[in-house]
Amino acid sequence: MTTTAIVTLAAVLVIVLGVSLITRPRHSSTVDFYLAGQRVGVVTNSWAICGDYLSAASFLGVAAAVYVSGLDGAWYAVGFAAGFVPVLLLVAAPLRRFGEFSLADFLARRLNSDTVRISSVAVVQLVILCYLVPQSVGGGITWELLVGHGIGGLSAYSTGVLLSTAVIAVVVAFGGMRGTTWNQAVQFLLLFLALVWLAVVVTSDGFRYGEAVEALSSQPLANPELVDEDAGQWALSQETNYIQPDQPAVFGEAGTRYGHLGQVALVVTLAMGTAGLPHVMNRYFTSPTGRAARTTTVWVLVLIGVFYALAVMLGTAAREVIPRAQQDHPWLAEYTVDGVLRIPEHALPVLGRIYGDEAGLGLVTAAALIAAMSTVAGLLLASAATWGHDVYERHINPRATQRQAVWAGRLTTLIAAGTAAGLAIALRPDAFTPAMPSLVATMVTWAFAVAGSALTPVVVLAIWWRRTTAAGAVAGMLTGGVLAVAMFLTASFLQPSALRELLAAPTLVVAPAAVLITVLVSLRTRAPADADTSWVIMHGTAADRHTERLAALTVEERRRRRAR
Amino acid sequence: MRFEGETSSPEVQDTPAEVDAAFRTLRRIAVTYFIVFLLVLAAFPVLTMALDWWTEARVIRNLSPAFLTAGVGLYAVFAVIGIAAATLSSSVEARMLGQQQNLGQQPDAEQT
Repeated sequence: MTTTAIVTLAAVLVIVLGVSLITRPRHSSTVDFYLAGQRVGVVTNSWAICGDYLSAASFLGVAAAVYVSGLDGAWYAVGFAAGFVPVLLLVAAPLRRFGEFSLADFLARRLNSDTVRISSVAVVQLVILCYLVPQSVGGGITWELLVGHGIGGLSAYSTGVLLSTAVIAVVVAFGGMRGTTWNQAVQFLLLFLALVWLAVVVTSDGFRYGEAVEALSSQPLANPELVDEDAGQWALSQETNYIQPDQPAVFGEAGTRYGHLGQVALVVTLAMGTAGLPHVMNRYFTSPTGRAARTTTVWVLVLIGVFYALAVMLGTAAREVIPRAQQDHPWLAEYTVDGVLRIPEHALPVLGRIYGDEAGLGLVTAAALIAAMSTVAGLLLASAATWGHDVYERHINPRATQRQAVWAGRLTTLIAAGTAAGLAIALRPDAFTPAMPSLVATMVTWAFAVAGSALTPVVVLAIWWRRTTAAGAVAGMLTGGVLAVAMFLTASFLQPSALRELLAAPTLVVAPAAVLITVLVSLRTRAPADADTSWVIMHGTAADRHTERLAALTVEERRRRRAR
Repeated sequence: MRFEGETSSPEVQDTPAEVDAAFRTLRRIAVTYFIVFLLVLAAFPVLTMALDWWTEARVIRNLSPAFLTAGVGLYAVFAVIGIAAATLSSSVEARMLGQQQNLGQQPDAEQT
């Protein structure tokens, strides 16, 4: 292991464990463990949501998708960034005002049904698993690149998966939402810093965005393909143009990966999925008021917009810089085929090493590890809230003490982490590269597809349509979940076509179907009796004003004390 | 989850009629901005199909309008939609809800 690797890993550990120690929960209560006492301010929460949301798929995956597909790779960035617009318009403020611990808890209380709770727990767990696995894959890829060898007879990839998941599982199990919030906020700032540093060094070295896109578009886009598996032989293969099949696919134009329908289907799937992501939505319950939740989302929209614009630019920069850097950096030969990276997720770490040598590689890989770990933290906490609160506290042991409930959450955190690490080890990213623009980003798309098809329609209807019933919600969730999984699994057996694109990103079709089923079943079942009470809580601002007045009184009291 | 006593205090209660009126206005705002958002998303493939200029012209820093939109422009539009919708929704809530509380607090304000 090089000195850089040791320093990088030590820095990541010191940051993660240090922040967790300083911000450890003060009380052993479920409100403190799952919701950080519901006192997380707008700026801190927006950083934490960004840390939670900007995963390995965003940091490694978006740049990788642009690197390998050009303009078509940018649809990931557009879809991920677009996701917070529906959250802001339709979900953030009413969800927070209604309160609760988790999405499943919200739906169950709003619709007054344990069946809804159990159904949503099942969907939430599926989303969490689909999202957790690629983050662990990201940890493995980063370790492979940074350290290069394993520990205790394990491969470098497996060691990375196990260590990154284990560290964050322990941090979450003992730090709860308070420790996780501060960890995610600090981690987002470090991640952002790494991206800004890369953008600055690349630009100062003479990278010009427009000229680079022009130069890359002057020749057909080709990527490495494993031509002889036994001999491990790779060769460049030209990409097909899915919009104009008679023309070669080029970097700067759409069509290298998707047709028109595929573009829209992918962006809609990612955009609608965010509002159903349990780890992101659970963060809104930590805001003190609904208004604060809404303002937090505005901050998030601005911050992630800048982040994704930089990620797209750096994916382009990597494509242009790496081939011409080969002469001065012979180590690149190990990772490339005729100047093009075999694993596109290596784009940013390789760029870091080119410009910052071992220290640059250290900074970027630390950021990648941090990106994976902060999202894993959010996912594990969401899993803990679902199992510990929605299943254990509500069904298995309704008389559980606060201490028992918190320990149930901690235990389920460790089990979810173990399952995700096991699945990540079973999947090798380089084996999937020819079929998927970026394995990490593609796997995350599945999580968004299930969330956007099964959870978002029901959550939005529960907030905005009084007549939504428990039976309607269960029918909608089942329809959305089953159809989404069936469609993206079917897509993996089909040849590239418009149908395959639609099936691979199914929310465009499935979400309207889920809405339709929810509405039809709701209209055929008895309307919930206490919808008016829920309406006053969700859409009224009494609780917001009360909390704001208490906060103002507290500030005034502090001022008076200081004046004395 | 609700804070203890937060709805038992009479001066901070919203009436169902007030909430319903505010809800209808907020729903109109949310739906309007959501339609704008969907139109922005749908515009990209439509422009790619309909206008050669969209992919062939060079505008800022030698980038085509299509690449500029996917690389930078859409994130700015999302932020603008978010800021506009959040500002309008919060101002509607402030105008339509909690008026009784403000009226109730006025004498106190005058006394101080």
